[in-house]
Amino acid sequence: MRYLRLLGIFWTAAAAARMEYRAAFVVAIFASLIETAGKLFGVYLFYSSGFELGGWPWQEALLVFGFAQLVDAFFLLFFVPNLRRISEMVQDGTLDFVLLKPVDSQFWVSVQKLDPVGLPYLLLGAALLGYAGWASGLEVGGWARLAFAGTGAIFLVYALAFLLATTSIWFVKIFNVVHFLSSLIWSAQYPVQAYARPFRIFLTFVLPVYFMTTAPAELALGRAAGVAPWAMFLVALALFGFSRAFWRFALRFYTSASS
Amino acid sequence: MLLAKVRTLLAVHFAYMLEYRAEIFFWILGGLAPFFFMAAWSEAARQGYTPYSPLEYARYFFAVFVARQLAIVWANWTFSDWVRSGKLSFYLLQPLDPMWRLLADHLGERGVRFPVLAVIGAVFAALFPGALVWPGWGALALGLAASALAFLLSFFVAYSVGLLAFWLEDATEIFELWYVLVLFFSGMLAPLSLYPEAVQRVLLWTPFPHLVYLPASYWSGLEPADARGFAVLLVWTLVFFAVTRLLWRLGRRRYSAMGA
Repeated sequence: MRYLRLLGIFWTAAAAARMEYRAAFVVAIFASLIETAGKLFGVYLFYSSGFELGGWPWQEALLVFGFAQLVDAFFLLFFVPNLRRISEMVQDGTLDFVLLKPVDSQFWVSVQKLDPVGLPYLLLGAALLGYAGWASGLEVGGWARLAFAGTGAIFLVYALAFLLATTSIWFVKIFNVVHFLSSLIWSAQYPVQAYARPFRIFLTFVLPVYFMTTAPAELALGRAAGVAPWAMFLVALALFGFSRAFWRFALRFYTSASS
Repeated sequence: MLLAKVRTLLAVHFAYMLEYRAEIFFWILGGLAPFFFMAAWSEAARQGYTPYSPLEYARYFFAVFVARQLAIVWANWTFSDWVRSGKLSFYLLQPLDPMWRLLADHLGERGVRFPVLAVIGAVFAALFPGALVWPGWGALALGLAASALAFLLSFFVAYSVGLLAFWLEDATEIFELWYVLVLFFSGMLAPLSLYPEAVQRVLLWTPFPHLVYLPASYWSGLEPADARGFAVLLVWTLVFFAVTRLLWRLGRRRYSAMGA
């Protein structure tokens, strides 16, 4: 309960601060439209030659694409601003203040910021998912699984992002971790079956790209693939647990700015 | 005298960048996106849906990867940071246009990036035997020339956006827009020859395809390179160079350092 109230306080403050840059927000709306349209075009290029990405029909591939856009929106909305903030706090030593507070430190640094620039992306992503789900003829159960799996995917990417952000305790700068993650999300636009075999294996077992978008889409569609897609929740939980342990471990190496 | 200055600047910035080895490593990992597109397209090729073979795709996307790596810029970010934090004041005191400092910063970083690129190239060649073929000295040089011009153009665009910091609080999103256009129209998603013909004709006059597709065409030989691209690139480079000069003149007057 206390944590929920904190969330409210953080986000109104962050959104208000950000709204001072209204021009940037307008540009962001444009950018989100162009970016989504361009990525969609990239998927369409495959289908224009009659090829089906990994045997996924167009509307079902759109569902995968929609999940990628949803994850991307959350990435811009929460993960990027907070990751940046963590490395800033390590650089100037203000992480001390967070550590002293009677609130879970991982919670605090994960949700403190919010960047409304991600909002247009979120709306577009949700609209895409809605359309793709409708076009693939989802039943009520399918929609429920879609929502559930979508939540799981966001959670998974959060854990992964936080895991990498934690390295900033040692490396200090984080700019490139953000870059790396966003290119990972790029690769998640296509169903993993679209990739040549070695890549498919790599994107499932080394990088959890399969569990980010393909598995949720498989769950929503009920594509017969056994228990494999359900493993995404296990992977998400494992990554989350690992990220917590790693954060604790990293804090032992944190020596504030002046000491 | 001038030469000594250039050498000092480059050496200093090369040393700076060496400190950020881990960063650059992550950055290059982030630049691996073209290989994902390669993986998807060569699978389509394997099933016979596109005019090129899997090996041709591998060659093309490797060239795209290199072209993008050589043209990476962050002048917008650094310069707006200088303005906002007031660091620019120190640089204004020195008899050197800060643009040169930024340019040296970028060039010095290329020095750190090159060896890593060479390693990635070796790994790539081992993973995809036959994918990399020697393009010939002429094509290699022309591709490098196109790449150098592409870098200059990207640099001036980024620097113009950075200069906007004199007026705007936050111009990141504007650069994001440019970045996205480059992503879609430079041939990174797919060879431009697969785009609809009308789109290709319009794109020829924009800077986008020449930033990546032109050098990549020289290196990979996927399609004959269109030498007109050099002229288009040059014109756009001059235009944005003029823009940076203009913004620098106008902006300097508005600058009041932090706390001053």
